[in-house]
Amino acid sequence: MNRRALLLSAGAAALTSRAAYAADDVVIGVVYPLTGNGAAVGLDAKAAYEVAADIINGTHAPIPMLMGAGGGLPKLGGAKIKLVFADSQNDPQKARAEAERLITQDKAVAIVGSYTSATGATISQVTERYEVPYLAADNSSPSLHTRGLKWFFRTSPHDEMFTQGMFDFFAGIGAKTGRKVQTIALFYEDSIFGTDSSNVQRKLAEAAGIKVVADIRYRAASPSLSTEAQKLKSANADVILPSSYTSDAILILKAMAEIGYKPKAIMAQAAGFQESAFMQGAGALAEGAMSRSSFALDATKSRPAIAPVNALYKAHNNKDMNDNTSRELTALLTLADAINRAGSAKPDAIRLALMATDVPGDQTIMPWKGIKFDATGQNTLGTPVMQQISGGVYKTVWPFDLAVMEPVWTVGQ
Amino acid sequence: MENSILRRRRHELIIGGIVLAGLALLPVPIKDVYTQNLIIITVLFAGLAQAWNILGGYCGQISLGHALYFGIGSYVSTLLYLRLGIPPTLGLFAAGIVSGLVALLIGWPCFRLSGHYYAIATVVVGEIGYLLFLNWDFVGGATGVFIPFHGESWAQLQFKTAKLPYHFVVLGFAAATWLAAFWLEGSRWGFAWRAVKDDVVAARSLGVNIFASKMAAAALSGGFTGIGGALYAQYVGYIDPDSVLAGHFSILIALPAVLGGVGNLWGPLIGAAVLIPASELSRSYLGGSGRGVDLMLYGGLIVLVALARPQGLVSLFSWQRKQNAPAA
Amino acid sequence: MSAADLLQVAAGGLLMGLVYALVAAGLSLIFGLMDVVNFAHGELMMLAMYAVFALWQVSGTDPLLLLPVVAVLLFGTGIAIYQGLIARALSVQFNRGMVQIFVTFGLAIFIRGACQFVWGGDFKSVTGHWLAGRTLELGGVFLPLPQMAASAVCLVAFAGLLAIGRTEFGRALEATREDRDAVALIGIDRNRIFALGWGLGAAAVGVAGVMLAGFYYVGPNVGASFAVIAYVTVALGGFGSMLGALVAGILIGEVEAFTAALWEPSLKQVGVFAVYLAVLMFRPRGLFGRL
Repeated sequence: MNRRALLLSAGAAALTSRAAYAADDVVIGVVYPLTGNGAAVGLDAKAAYEVAADIINGTHAPIPMLMGAGGGLPKLGGAKIKLVFADSQNDPQKARAEAERLITQDKAVAIVGSYTSATGATISQVTERYEVPYLAADNSSPSLHTRGLKWFFRTSPHDEMFTQGMFDFFAGIGAKTGRKVQTIALFYEDSIFGTDSSNVQRKLAEAAGIKVVADIRYRAASPSLSTEAQKLKSANADVILPSSYTSDAILILKAMAEIGYKPKAIMAQAAGFQESAFMQGAGALAEGAMSRSSFALDATKSRPAIAPVNALYKAHNNKDMNDNTSRELTALLTLADAINRAGSAKPDAIRLALMATDVPGDQTIMPWKGIKFDATGQNTLGTPVMQQISGGVYKTVWPFDLAVMEPVWTVGQ
Repeated sequence: MENSILRRRRHELIIGGIVLAGLALLPVPIKDVYTQNLIIITVLFAGLAQAWNILGGYCGQISLGHALYFGIGSYVSTLLYLRLGIPPTLGLFAAGIVSGLVALLIGWPCFRLSGHYYAIATVVVGEIGYLLFLNWDFVGGATGVFIPFHGESWAQLQFKTAKLPYHFVVLGFAAATWLAAFWLEGSRWGFAWRAVKDDVVAARSLGVNIFASKMAAAALSGGFTGIGGALYAQYVGYIDPDSVLAGHFSILIALPAVLGGVGNLWGPLIGAAVLIPASELSRSYLGGSGRGVDLMLYGGLIVLVALARPQGLVSLFSWQRKQNAPAA
Repeated sequence: MSAADLLQVAAGGLLMGLVYALVAAGLSLIFGLMDVVNFAHGELMMLAMYAVFALWQVSGTDPLLLLPVVAVLLFGTGIAIYQGLIARALSVQFNRGMVQIFVTFGLAIFIRGACQFVWGGDFKSVTGHWLAGRTLELGGVFLPLPQMAASAVCLVAFAGLLAIGRTEFGRALEATREDRDAVALIGIDRNRIFALGWGLGAAAVGVAGVMLAGFYYVGPNVGASFAVIAYVTVALGGFGSMLGALVAGILIGEVEAFTAALWEPSLKQVGVFAVYLAVLMFRPRGLFGRL
């Protein structure tokens, strides 16, 4: 073979390599921020999806959950799930371009994503136009499922469901101990996440007859939060409800301690409060803080799949599963199950199968009641849990039947 | 002397026509949607950088706050469309006018400042705009604004999956900014700005109204940037303060012009053609590692080009260098 | 808010303002000397914070004791940046103003990428500080000791920078600032003075980074949070004026704190920026800038 022929054949190989997946592989596009801000979360997500694909495709001891048998998609002759990752850099425009590339170049039959709600917004517009399902694994803004999209599905609970859980917990613990929540202080960053979260909290507080004594929207990643801490101290609410990412979560706890303020109780809208960097940075100050979560690592009794799945994930990424990675893994398993039930890798067949999804909670690793989509594509059975930091780790305290410890409830004492 | 200038300008107009025709024909060989998208974004940034060039290059006022005009433009056309039903084809002119007026409003106090004081003031004004939009519920606040898809329509600049219409729309935008820069270069204003840039005192003694000329540059530059913002909003279908008003966007607008060649007709185009694909490709091939290698390469590239080619990449073309030589 | 609350807000603003002043001092020094705005200034501060974190993690030494080590490291970094990049940027014939802006801007992106490469994207916290978590109560006003230490170091650093101004070297700096070309005639090596200026400027922001690491988290975007405030501080005080940086830093700390207290916390920087623009209307070269 002369040099020219060699170059030509190399070129031909490069051209065909995009289409070189085995004919029966099912390609799923995954869009996350893998660089820039949000990269830490995106890289964990990538690991979670890789573990999920291994569980679906690989040969291993059967795991007692949806798609836990391994060996590919049985109704598609053992076809494998093939993931293609794309980096959104947390930029809505780039997320959009990458989703389009995955659909047109890589022939993805569905997209999963995408961490932030802004990128979820543009990806779901692309999937709507190309008529391919988009499964939102961890976008939590309620504004996403209310736009009348046909191809949008969300396994994750959204902020309204999460927040409803918080207020249900307040009511439950109030009835149990006789020390009710009378006042709350809202503390949220000036982003789509903080805005959505606080809007729901304000609404539900009014419905529950709880008074909002401080409503503090702060600038994310500020050099100092000392004045904000002072405002929280003056209000001295029964419970502080922060919606913050890691850095601000550390900073506000330190700032409150610096001015000699020990809040009665903290109930966080997850995010930064669920990150390991927060636990390390805030140290003893975080003790006793509560957070909602869609995942309970300690619910191993009612969810037997948690232990084997977490072991696989830990071997892959050297971390325990958390609020985000568990939702991501579950999203891919749900999608694979729908493709399997559809018996076809055609987007419209997958969409119909997703609409018919009805998975009981104990078939997942999540503490949810189950997975069932309503007409807007939202999973209505994704019920959250409440957790409290005790001895430096989160322990589930609500719903009471899933709890592994009694909550330390200092309100009203 | 007169003839050589005229000859050169005719020359540039011909080259401009050839480049435009070449770009217009690009979708003939390139069918891949992703590459078409890359070209659209590159051409859009070439236009935005040319708009920046009018103020930053020709007039020599280094603005680091152009994201404000871009953002205002994108919000004006989007809100006119969603709230009042005015189609974006009309809305983009409104976006240009409003952004141009805002540029005048900001220029009026800021042009009293010189050098770095001006540059930092533009950063600050841009930040104020960003923070106000983030906290302003009427325009969607931090949640941003979705543009729903109502079917294919040229008037509303909405296309289901086709890229071609947008290819021609942004090409038209970039061509308009280029023509504006071309016309300005040869106009009385163009001479005034070159005089202002080279020597303020001398310009004043020649009877140039420095303040008025700077204001004119700001209005044109801001107005075109606003039109670019309106096109971006309609193309992406979703805007929020973080994606259209954040400070780093100002740098992204200025960078192609600076690295391509400031105060030069071709600089923004060449800069965008190098920078935008470079950042996209480094993201696609190196970004997945999450270790910042793409940032190191991108930052290193900026440093290298700025030091090695202070006149911009355009100086790599010898015919340009010859033209610049006598002036130096 | 009660009077005691307002006093607490004022104290918080003052403590933060002194940190802003120290961050801005190095920027102002470099600008005054050679008309260069260093857009990588925030990233130099971040580099110092990561240095503290790494040295503390490896050696277990109290972060406060690492102050001289990090200051020397940053001094060397500053000189290296001057020799490697800035001297070249100053020697270009064409477009000098823009070249120096974008060289330092590119450097900022590079440093951010490099830190992410070495330390990853996660937030780090230095926790072994002997002052960490301690606070002093004076008549109902709480004064956290790490911030008090930072303020004290800031005042000492300013005294040091002013004292340098009275030495032989300081007079050489002053002369170089006044007339770059004439100093060569009296035997001052301009290049050497500029390099030392960069070393000093970087060391000053390095000191700020060390003190900040005592009560603030470390992450790849931490430079950006402080950078804009630093530019505003310098422009408000007047480029090149040390006293200006000090006064402007305190003013900005107070305006920020009171905007958050009396108006909207999310708009506190708008308050700062508005005051800055208002001052510039009357004094286009800042409070203490030479007109």
